[in-house]
Amino acid sequence: MQQDTKLKLLQVPAHQRTESDASHSYSVLDYYDSETILISEVGSDENLEPFVNLQPKSGEMFVPLLGTQNTSRVTNMDMRDSNESQMDTSMITNVSLGDASTITRNSRRSLPSLNSLIDPNIPPCIQPLTELRLKQNLDDKFDIYGFKKDSSLFTSTVESHNEWFSEYIPHLLTQKKKWLVLMKAHGLASRSDAPLPLRYPPKSEKVKKLVRRGIPPEWRGNAWFFYAGGYEKLNKNIGVYEKIVADTAGMQNKDTEVIERDLHRTFPDNKYFKPELVEGVAADSNKEAPMISALRRVLTAFAQFKPQIGYCQSLNFLVGLLLLFMSEERAFWMLVIITERIIPQVHSANLEGVHTDQGVLMICIHEYIPKLWSIIGKSFDGTVLKDDKILTRPPPLTLVTSAWFMSMFVGILPIESVLRIWDIIFYEGSKALFRLSLTICRLCMDHPNFAGSTRDSRNMEEQETDRIEIFQFIQNFPKSITDPSLLINLCFKKIGGYGFGFLSQDEINRCREFVAQQRSRLRTKKGSIAGQLSDSERASLQGSAKMDDEIHDVYGFQRSIMSGVAWNMHISSVMKKKLGKRPE
Amino acid sequence: MSARKKTLLKVIVLGDLGVGKTSLMQQFVNKKFSHQYKATIGADFLTKDLTIDNKTVSLQIWDTAGQERFQSLGVAFYRGADCCVLCYDVTNEKSLNNLSSWKDEFLVQSNVSNPQDFPFIIIGNKIDVDESKKIPSLQKKLLNITNNQLGGLNYPLFETSAKDSINVETAFENVARMALQQEELNGASRNDMNDDYHDAINIHLENDNSGCAC
Repeated sequence: MQQDTKLKLLQVPAHQRTESDASHSYSVLDYYDSETILISEVGSDENLEPFVNLQPKSGEMFVPLLGTQNTSRVTNMDMRDSNESQMDTSMITNVSLGDASTITRNSRRSLPSLNSLIDPNIPPCIQPLTELRLKQNLDDKFDIYGFKKDSSLFTSTVESHNEWFSEYIPHLLTQKKKWLVLMKAHGLASRSDAPLPLRYPPKSEKVKKLVRRGIPPEWRGNAWFFYAGGYEKLNKNIGVYEKIVADTAGMQNKDTEVIERDLHRTFPDNKYFKPELVEGVAADSNKEAPMISALRRVLTAFAQFKPQIGYCQSLNFLVGLLLLFMSEERAFWMLVIITERIIPQVHSANLEGVHTDQGVLMICIHEYIPKLWSIIGKSFDGTVLKDDKILTRPPPLTLVTSAWFMSMFVGILPIESVLRIWDIIFYEGSKALFRLSLTICRLCMDHPNFAGSTRDSRNMEEQETDRIEIFQFIQNFPKSITDPSLLINLCFKKIGGYGFGFLSQDEINRCREFVAQQRSRLRTKKGSIAGQLSDSERASLQGSAKMDDEIHDVYGFQRSIMSGVAWNMHISSVMKKKLGKRPE
Repeated sequence: MSARKKTLLKVIVLGDLGVGKTSLMQQFVNKKFSHQYKATIGADFLTKDLTIDNKTVSLQIWDTAGQERFQSLGVAFYRGADCCVLCYDVTNEKSLNNLSSWKDEFLVQSNVSNPQDFPFIIIGNKIDVDESKKIPSLQKKLLNITNNQLGGLNYPLFETSAKDSINVETAFENVARMALQQEELNGASRNDMNDDYHDAINIHLENDNSGCAC
């Protein structure tokens, strides 16, 4: 994306959204469709014509940016998905006008000097993928994203990669065709050789299905940005990234020290991050790869922008992958969206979000894969973790699964699987992380080599060996999941799959809230958690006294632990329906 | 596997980020070096069997994340360790100066019964690099750190290159030997219980309070 873009505002009133009611329960991020969306396009300042390739449906309204640009301080959204969905659109629209034009103009005025800091000339990494290009890739050492095909990490070779990829090419081509048809139906992009579309169809069941089958690689960056609410974020923060980059240029502190150590080990197997991987390209110690410089700028700017996070290892993987698909400014805002909305606090200084999300994941395993819980819900020495200790003594497996969340599967799964999951996450929200994590766990458990499932442990020592092997198995198994479609089908298919699609964002949000609450209570009271309910808890208890008993009855949680929190009423009913009996 | 009489020894590798902990472990266990290692998130371990003084032992080596904040993810697996490896990078003075913090952190979290004589070893990695990049007057600084200070780090020290496979094997053989001694010591101290399997992988996540004190 070029810096001197023309910005226009497209406003779609909420009541005119076209997605079906059903999609509501699936997608909290639907919300963003109703918000002000900013479209960027190259053009002159004076050109305020509506976005050209948009065919507005009747009633949709185009409003030029400089008139209604919202600059209210809605920027600091340290809230979870659920809160997002409750946020009233009036917050967005009901604001004083005027600032935006100033910001915009200022940022434009200062562009020349900033251009020397931000590199706008990094060529797009992912070329539009024609059948010819895809087939030509079979002769290449690098995959279509620039990663070396042979990888010791994923134990893949050029041959094994090509074997899989030649089967995957038809899927990519079919998907592209389907997307073109869909885009055409929405008047968005009609020809395969048209410029990369910036805008995508509003969320609907149909689009969701198509996203789950994969977004065309060359559209990914724009589609992720669009569906995750990137335009809305960028719109509120015009010029901000450039300013932070200017402010942080050459800065040296604790964060930048760590960033420097991670830059070159982010994607050392990718030709864009390490050009000398390509034959005939000499390593030039004086000239840094543009991608490395961009990675440094984004990470440094982010550390400055979010001091409560600073720099946390694993952010480098997120930004690194984003940069392969979008400009650094967009990558920056995507990172902000990820850390604010999708996995909040997961990278904060105390990693509290990791504790929260791992608590939620373990509860989900406990509820939905009870057999696996009976195997992993133990410390390595075999001490069974009591249910009410899930949150305070997480099983060793969380050392493995934490990384799944922190890096959103980068480096955990082969790249195509990561990208397909990212398609779903940016479209559907954080629930996808949980659904896919559960799928991987379940897939491990069903694997014939999974120690705990095949053997009846005979004595303590063998049991202990099993537990160690299980840990290692779940650590390593994901690296072998080269077929993303298999994984995703297993996740969502009710027949012939695990059907984890029933796990709603709402349920995840309530569960997160529950875990966070319990943890803060444990922190403050250090063990004396019994009794003492807050007013709101008491109220909710009174409102659902019957359900409350039922929860304890079903799950056997300590009353004090579960008091007043009814996040899992849904789990309870789902499980009853599903199993026809109480889960053990 | 049924007649597993070999002793399981648990080793924890600590040190600042980027000093080469993962590379050391990979070089020792899998005899390979790769530029592809990514930053370690959470924790990981590899096991390797080796024979020490005619005794077969299984070394369980835990690789840890170097960035400080990852400590909050649970360091419960430190418990039951038989040896701790403190790593620094010969080109990074800070990583050298941080060794004693890593040692303290380990002692606090592992709750070992004999902190005074618990076996630590120190590994200085990356000796393959150009002399000019190394910490100036490294030996003097090392002496300061190991000998002089109160609670100094007077432990066996090995300078290695995981990249060129220099001294890695030797270092870990010493690790195994020291761990074995420690394990036998532990075994002797609970002679009434025939549970020598117990400590090597005891991963009690008991530190409720510290676990949440983020």
